[in-house]
Amino acid sequence: MNTKARSMTSNDKNSPTPRAPSVLLAYRSELAIAMACVALLVGVGIFVPAALSSGNFANILQASAPLVIMSLGVLVVIITGGIDLSVGSIFSLTGMVTALAMANGFGDVTASLLGLGVGIVFGSINGVLITLVGLAPFVVTLITYAVAASLAFIVTNGRSLGVDSSDYWLLNSGELLPGIPNFVVFCLVFTVVLEFVLRKITAGRWFYSVGSSPMAAYLLGIPVKRTRFAAYVISGTMASFAGLLTVSYILNAEATAGASLMLQAIAAVVIGGASLAGGTGSAVGAVLGALMITIIQNGVNLIGINSFWQGSVTGLAILVAVLIDRFSHR
Amino acid sequence: MMKTLIKALAVAAAVLVAQSAGAEEKKFTVAYIAPSLDIDYWQWVAHGVQQKAKELGMSYVEYTSENSPAKQMDNARVAVTRGVNAVVIGPVSSTSTPPLLAYLAQQKIPVAFAGIGPQQGQTKFTSAVTANNYETSLAQGKYTCELAKERGGKEVGMLSLPQDRENAQKYLKGAKEAFQANGCDLVQMLETKGLTINEAVTQANDLLTAHPNIKAIYGMYDQAGSGAAKALATRGLTGKIGITVADGSPATIQLLKDGAIQGIFFQEAVGQGIDATQQVYNALTGTQTTQNMALIMPLVKATDINSDAAKKVIARVFPQ
Amino acid sequence: MAADKLPLISVRNLQKSFGVTKVLRGVNFTVSAGQIHALLGGNGAGKSTMIRIITGGIRKDDGEISLSSQRDTEPKIAVVHQELALLADLSVAENIAIVHAASARSFVHARKRAEIGYKALSLIDPHLANTALHRRAADLSMHEGQIVEIARALSTGADVIMLDEPTANLTAGETERLFAVLRRLVTETNIGIVFVSHRMKEIRQLCDVCTIIRDGMTVIDAAPLERLTDVEIVHHMGQPDARNEIPARHKIDHADVGLVLKGPECAVPVLKGQILGLAGAPAGPSQVIALLNGTARSSTWGLEAEGWPERPTSPRQAVELGIGYVSGDRRSKGVLAQLPIIDNVLASRRVREGRVFVRRSERTECLDLVQALKLKAGSILDLPSTLSGGNQQKLLIARWLGMSLRLVVFEEPTRGVDIGTKRDIYELIRRMADAGTIVIWWSTENVELLELCDEILAFDTDGQAKGLLQSSQFNEDALADLTGMAA
Repeated sequence: MNTKARSMTSNDKNSPTPRAPSVLLAYRSELAIAMACVALLVGVGIFVPAALSSGNFANILQASAPLVIMSLGVLVVIITGGIDLSVGSIFSLTGMVTALAMANGFGDVTASLLGLGVGIVFGSINGVLITLVGLAPFVVTLITYAVAASLAFIVTNGRSLGVDSSDYWLLNSGELLPGIPNFVVFCLVFTVVLEFVLRKITAGRWFYSVGSSPMAAYLLGIPVKRTRFAAYVISGTMASFAGLLTVSYILNAEATAGASLMLQAIAAVVIGGASLAGGTGSAVGAVLGALMITIIQNGVNLIGINSFWQGSVTGLAILVAVLIDRFSHR
Repeated sequence: MMKTLIKALAVAAAVLVAQSAGAEEKKFTVAYIAPSLDIDYWQWVAHGVQQKAKELGMSYVEYTSENSPAKQMDNARVAVTRGVNAVVIGPVSSTSTPPLLAYLAQQKIPVAFAGIGPQQGQTKFTSAVTANNYETSLAQGKYTCELAKERGGKEVGMLSLPQDRENAQKYLKGAKEAFQANGCDLVQMLETKGLTINEAVTQANDLLTAHPNIKAIYGMYDQAGSGAAKALATRGLTGKIGITVADGSPATIQLLKDGAIQGIFFQEAVGQGIDATQQVYNALTGTQTTQNMALIMPLVKATDINSDAAKKVIARVFPQ
Repeated sequence: MAADKLPLISVRNLQKSFGVTKVLRGVNFTVSAGQIHALLGGNGAGKSTMIRIITGGIRKDDGEISLSSQRDTEPKIAVVHQELALLADLSVAENIAIVHAASARSFVHARKRAEIGYKALSLIDPHLANTALHRRAADLSMHEGQIVEIARALSTGADVIMLDEPTANLTAGETERLFAVLRRLVTETNIGIVFVSHRMKEIRQLCDVCTIIRDGMTVIDAAPLERLTDVEIVHHMGQPDARNEIPARHKIDHADVGLVLKGPECAVPVLKGQILGLAGAPAGPSQVIALLNGTARSSTWGLEAEGWPERPTSPRQAVELGIGYVSGDRRSKGVLAQLPIIDNVLASRRVREGRVFVRRSERTECLDLVQALKLKAGSILDLPSTLSGGNQQKLLIARWLGMSLRLVVFEEPTRGVDIGTKRDIYELIRRMADAGTIVIWWSTENVELLELCDEILAFDTDGQAKGLLQSSQFNEDALADLTGMAA
């Protein structure tokens, strides 16, 4: 860029570039969610003191791990203005494929790669149908949701499968870093990496651009189709990985394992501050949203409220989050 | 004129003979209508029905109601249209059965229940082959309480089926009575929504967090046992808290052998399918039927798991 | 200065057809460095098509285009459209900087991004650079958004910046500032600027030369503005064909006053069956229209008519009162795109008569209307998208035919409509007026107002009502003068 030819007699050479709002300010809605999570926990703690024990925190973390990872994937899709309904089915199918592979003599690693392949393949199918054929994301992912869900049954005729491998538990519960279970490491690493890419890498900014104003993005030369495609592959792969973690944890694959997770993942992303219209959202927010949902679940169980109330409480949480978001933008 | 009349009579006779001959060669068809086929249990019942049907020379068709009473009625109609002769059904719920039974009775199709019975007061059915949930639960509740006391406490927790199901309600009733009679406290009961092991693990964990003095867990369904066992394992409490399970599967059998759970009350899924099929066959062929076959679920402990008696029981639980 | 250098844009004999319609029939266009070049032409003359071909959006059929750059790089042309191409949820700085990213993988340095944005903006509007850098693009005003787009275009090293009707949504003050910026840019960096507009006053204020395109051909090629009078320009832009076809003005029987339009400093009585034209930039007429179609939240204008409130509170009420509304912005304000023609045509009728059920008689109703309009539609069950723009416009008018309304409001109804259909529309409007309906009609094409209206209320670019012309006073210059706009 030829700055010399363009330099004009600007008399404010000495005035500094205005600083961007501080990090704290930029993450203020995430902070709000974090505080809400803490408030919820404390609230439950009033009824059941054991809620605030380290043991319960550990339980919450473990229970939230699959949802956290799945939500990170769904976040990317939602930032681009799309939606992915197939993540729960991909989760289930991945578990079944992996367990089936192991039952047929494949090694742990190979079986896991096959399982991940499910996510990559279905994510790509979603991506192709949406970007190349131009079908609506809701419709496409509804189709893959149904197909993957049925395949999860067909694969073993609906039977749930046990995993015999003596080492597979290491994926989720092993400790590469002494004292810290692997699933925590995975969650942290994925969150940090994704947040970094979204904020600091051009391709990450493109997700926001495409979601915010697809026409403008196109006019500016941003590769809209490629960006959207990538989002769906990411979403499928994350859902897959979450499925692997769960299989590693309970050493069992069930065909309906992921069924309830899809709506929870979308809820987590929305609670975390993303708009379903696209263009906004953060990885940190999505994770906090997932944690909040898990905390609600945990609280309902601890207090002994009928678990069917979980849905209502979660729905209320989403409403509050969305309203706060709406009013803070006025 | 006379000639035509004789010809007509001859044709008629021939047709009648042909029809009855054909009737003897015609196979019966039995339809199995499952409440849903995404649960192992109902697949095992299906296996039993199919196995017995084959043995008796009947054709087999299968439908799933996807947990919807409307779909269930639909399935019944489709079965009738298809020309099915008998129905073995696991209903979506007991309350959904009256219109179904009325319809099938009108169509003169014998129907037998497997696993879940009809609503109280219904009579128009051939047989109900169910587990006697109440009696079984008295036994399971008692045993669970014993396990707790052996481990120095009297608090027990429960992982339950959804309480809108009649079998779940009966289980609960029996269990509560047993706990009370034997001096144990049921401190918390959590109902499952998805019937997955994953959910059971979380619920078991939360049970124990809220009530650290629980010394035994009553699992009303198979996945509850696997889930509770896993929860104990992560806390290093295997064996220190007793677990009993209803239903039984290869997974829980293994856990029993490993000492992670202490008792399984086997529900003979396959057996129910077999017996229900036999009942409708009897109805079709005019032999005697038994309307109420409420089977007690036998308890198998780790010590008896390898006995012949146990093996016989297990054969009627899931396909080998 | 520009004499011996290559022109930045050189277009010779450009031709383009869409199907059977020949839109460009040999257009010439030359843009030189260091100039602000006005591009004039009526609706449908071919300006937008030419621009799209030059920027590479669509392909030409024939002719030559060559671009050159003052620096040793690829020549670049940036277009600032009327609807801005800003990424709504991203910050201003990022909107500017994102086009500078080297690749998908390049690291986004927040500080550098801010600097790029700051540098680009401060060249044009230092105040904005200091205050708006980190604001969300969607929160900017139209004017600020334009500045950002211009800054972005500049920062990518564009040789020519084309601005498409940039002042349409600006106040006079903002327009002044924009022009100052553009003049400065041209003087200091020697880029070329193409300014598409038909506001004479502004063009004279800002531009050096002008090119006029009419019916797909260049009638005036880069002529210095000082050598042309407004009359000449208007004449070159006019559409004599349409003029000859406009039906003769009808006589109004002496009828009573239908309504009085009360403005901040005026009161305009309108007789029944009279056609009142609103002339000028959107600012003023849009207020009157919002008053009449019930979309105004509050208004400095008011109505005085028998049995009517001072201001209809909602479009529904307006329809119920017997006010029809036809907009030229068919896509967002008129056509129900997913519904078939029959639903489109009968929409308002159903509201007005409070119809609950869809009746079979509606089919005949619709067919009659469609025929009356000489609409070429395959079937009334087809979607409106199967119709041409002009026919879609007729559809919107059909809604109100035969409903004996007291008032119908037209908002730029002939926008983007071909000449033949325009004539049909003029006839329809006349017919409505003849039946006793009051017609209030806003158009930026002064020519058609002058031919068809009985009175014209002229607004200036700030939205103030400047004058009321009676038919005896009708005069193109007078109107251009009052409104500050040509054609």
